[in-house]
Amino acid sequence: MRFNKTLIIIFLFSLGTRVAAQTWVVPDDQKAVVAPLKFTPDMQKQGEQLYMKNCQSCHGLPGKDNWAKLTPPPGDLSKEKAQKQTDGEIFYRITTGKVPMPEFRNILPEDDRWSVIAYLRSFNPKYIQPNPVAKAAFTGRIVTLSMQYSEPMKKIVVTASEQLKDGQAGLASGVEIMLYVKRYFGKMQVGDVKTTNAKGQALFEFPADFPGNKDGYVEVSAMVNDPKSIMKTTPANATLAIGVPTDKPSLTATRAMWSTRDKAPVWILLTYTLSVIIVWGFIFYIIYSILKIKRLSNG
Amino acid sequence: MDDSNTPHSNNESENQKGSSRRDFLKNLGLAGVGVAAGAAALYSGHIFEAKKEVSGDQKVLLTQDGKLVQVDSLEIKALEKNGKELHETLGREGIPGRRWVMVTDLSKCRNARKCINACQGAHQLRPEQYHMNTLQMQDTPGTAPYNMPKNCQHCDNPPCVAVCPVDATYKRPDGIVLIENDRCIGCRFCMAACPYSARIFNWIEPKDAANHQGEEYNVELNVPQKLGTISKCLFSADRLREGKLPYCVEACPNSVYYFGDENEDAVTNGTTKETVRLSKLLRDNGGYQLMPELGTKPRVYYLPPKNRLFPFEEAKDATPEKV
Amino acid sequence: MTMDDNNLTFDKITSDLTHHIRINKGFMVWMGFLTVSLAVCLYAYSMQLRTGLGVAGIRDYVTWGLYLANFVFFVAASLIGMLISAVLGLIGMKWLTPITRIAETIAVAFAAVAGLIIISDMGRPERLAYVFIYARPQSPILWDVTVITTYFVLSLLLLFLPLIADMAVIHRKVASLPSWLKPVYKSLSLNFTDRPEQNKIINRSIRILLILLIPAALSIHTVTSWLFAVTSRAGWDSTVFGPYFVSGAFVAGSAAVIIAMFFFRKNYKLQDYLTDMHFNNMGKVLATVSLVYLYFNINEFLVPGYKMKRADAVHLQELFAGKDALLFWVVQLGGLVLPILFMLFRRFRKPLPIMLISIAVLIAAWFKRYIIVIPTQEHPFLPIQHVPQNFVHYSPTLIETLITIAPFILVLIIITLISKFFPVIPLHETAREKGIEHIKFD
Repeated sequence: MRFNKTLIIIFLFSLGTRVAAQTWVVPDDQKAVVAPLKFTPDMQKQGEQLYMKNCQSCHGLPGKDNWAKLTPPPGDLSKEKAQKQTDGEIFYRITTGKVPMPEFRNILPEDDRWSVIAYLRSFNPKYIQPNPVAKAAFTGRIVTLSMQYSEPMKKIVVTASEQLKDGQAGLASGVEIMLYVKRYFGKMQVGDVKTTNAKGQALFEFPADFPGNKDGYVEVSAMVNDPKSIMKTTPANATLAIGVPTDKPSLTATRAMWSTRDKAPVWILLTYTLSVIIVWGFIFYIIYSILKIKRLSNG
Repeated sequence: MDDSNTPHSNNESENQKGSSRRDFLKNLGLAGVGVAAGAAALYSGHIFEAKKEVSGDQKVLLTQDGKLVQVDSLEIKALEKNGKELHETLGREGIPGRRWVMVTDLSKCRNARKCINACQGAHQLRPEQYHMNTLQMQDTPGTAPYNMPKNCQHCDNPPCVAVCPVDATYKRPDGIVLIENDRCIGCRFCMAACPYSARIFNWIEPKDAANHQGEEYNVELNVPQKLGTISKCLFSADRLREGKLPYCVEACPNSVYYFGDENEDAVTNGTTKETVRLSKLLRDNGGYQLMPELGTKPRVYYLPPKNRLFPFEEAKDATPEKV
Repeated sequence: MTMDDNNLTFDKITSDLTHHIRINKGFMVWMGFLTVSLAVCLYAYSMQLRTGLGVAGIRDYVTWGLYLANFVFFVAASLIGMLISAVLGLIGMKWLTPITRIAETIAVAFAAVAGLIIISDMGRPERLAYVFIYARPQSPILWDVTVITTYFVLSLLLLFLPLIADMAVIHRKVASLPSWLKPVYKSLSLNFTDRPEQNKIINRSIRILLILLIPAALSIHTVTSWLFAVTSRAGWDSTVFGPYFVSGAFVAGSAAVIIAMFFFRKNYKLQDYLTDMHFNNMGKVLATVSLVYLYFNINEFLVPGYKMKRADAVHLQELFAGKDALLFWVVQLGGLVLPILFMLFRRFRKPLPIMLISIAVLIAAWFKRYIIVIPTQEHPFLPIQHVPQNFVHYSPTLIETLITIAPFILVLIIITLISKFFPVIPLHETAREKGIEHIKFD
């Protein structure tokens, strides 16, 4: 009975995930996207390397059906089910991801994503690449950002200006702005995406406990949130004294049991040195006395 | 104590006993000399710390990690060292102002072992030699199993470093615990002292030793590996110097690892390259450390294996061949 | 005393105690056997030198194996010199006089060889000098190297000082002494002519040595125990490890002394000097130190066994009822509890039975070191995974076993040489104790 229940639960669960899997719909306009370049053997080679690093741990080696047993099943990408998708569909799925598949938007540049597709297509003898379509000439907004810190408001003010059709400059409203701070391994986003108001301004509150360098300086940059690249944008950068001055001592500053010899705890140095000197002092004294025995002899 | 009762003594006269007492006082004097000499030795040992001349003439220099620093001109010495010595100096000094820290998100690990492969490749390790190893853990019989990547915890109170007799393994100002295999004597006390089993030993000739013969030793990469010496995770000190994430962190396909600088309160995910605040990440996800009760103060944090993205499966990888 | 002291002359004592100082066939055969055995073991070591520690069974988890267990055993056995000479000697137990040199010989031999064992356990033996060049005063290894060297030198001096007078007699009186050895003895006797000033120096030096020996000896084994106790490993993380090791050392050392006494008495015909009384008393010493050791054993196993903390529980379960249980119980019962029970009876403290008991105790003492060193490493805090089977369970290799045997051969060689070329029983002190006037030195 319990076994049956388990079976039912497994069935329902797999049904559920199947439904979930089917809900990963690719918008029609994205389906129609084609690669900007002709797939070349070089691209395929590069795609192979990228595939091995980023995809193989789940999808396995193409043609080997050795993909990881996950839910939903990742599947072998050289097989019919994956290959019947358009290039645009595959590109969209790689770009956006869907748990547990990571989104590769920020991991692989566009060209690399196309290289992976070129590699996957090399397993499909029936595949004929549609004619490449280079990116259309730019027709969208041209936005330039500037940034300063407003002491009275305690906020970072990002101002977006744009080049209007008549060539005049104007304030750009409705532009989504992201604020980043430079860290050792990359940029960290601060706060949420903000949209510029009618004055072309977006105000960012800066966390009060954010560590800066030892004088409190932080390198901040503002960027336009434009995932579909419909604008031409110029980001703004500034070094502002808005962080908490951080000058932590080196982790090896103090004397400790684990420090190098130069920084050994004083009591250990003392105890060790003294014990050795005292005991060996006696030893040398005894050796010296022993040698005296010879001189004290009768003849 | 009575002289005549000891097996080594003869029956000495009272007079002799008196003189032996005087000798004892003489010995006490000798001990006093010993104490004084000890203090002198100790003092001379520390004089180097106090003795620093300053010229007042400041020069601005560019450091290895691209920072401008002001240095007294008397402190500037031309680096006439060869590459190996330079490596050793830099390897001991670390990257100034940093405190490296790693966060491992156990909810995302599915034992893909990409980190391990990348690590073993970079450090010329055999398949059974792990700087980083993913363990299949189950804390208690009633709790769920999970995968736990485990590397050197780069403790702030490192028991392994404390016991090293020759300063071959040491902690750097930026927190990394390194091993200099040119100095290691192979006593393996550090392995015995490490509660995380993080250290390995080159029991036999290291992998492809013949190919790496004569290569210059890089202490920040610990290659070439040397027979009869210790090896361990180095937080990829060589990559950090170039501003890159460690090999394992970069190689992970499942966003398990974050790596960064505690002083900046920021860690960067190796897969998504997303940089987040360390304190927030730990706070929001219940970050913890391995065996904090031992007081080792690890520099590696773990995020608990809750809401796991992947079901747990027994590791199916083949155990490496006997060596 | 079973001997009629009144009939003793200095010449009789001299001949009794030195008649064995000659190179005879038995000695040559025995030394030849030891040398050949040592050569075989050294060949095994040369293989380790060439290809690395990998020839041994130790791997990343059990990283200290037979070599280190052996090292601990040798340090332990060497400690007896301090117990017999310093502790009991300073208290003034006169019956010990004939045993002091045996104890010091054992101390010197085991301490010297213990230092060598550590070299055989190094991955990079050619870097031995680094221990001194880069010496780190925080590392127990530096402490260990320091105290073992110190203890060895102290023991050597303590062995040498009473020998000065003896050698002065030997090079004058012993006819069987090969002629080429005479000048050696003469120069080693430092022109000793039994003058009061000379005796005074010797006696005073001995007293200083005896006092220094106590802290030095306690240190060598306490520091050796700290090699383990400073880690947080289950089974090693213990506050009683120092006294536990020291008391265990007295057990091993007393047993070694009794065995040596038995064979010296038999081979060198010393029945008049090493009497049943000596064996009886040494049996009492062994029983006493064994009881102390048993007490520490109870502390060491009962307290963590009562709590069964997670890591301790895994370790103790393996010892009490698991893989190592047979060895553990044989060692604890057969090497400690049963010998104590036997030794309570006088008839088991006769020379032969007490020697047999001592052999059992000594073998158990060696395996006890194995139990202390190895099982703990098989149960680290984190699981051992994704490594070959031989990383998980330690099994010593043939080469490793041979390299482990080598120190025993070396110790036998050293003891044989010392006992062969010097009186096993202090000549002068025996005479003095029996109230016999010193001979005239011409």
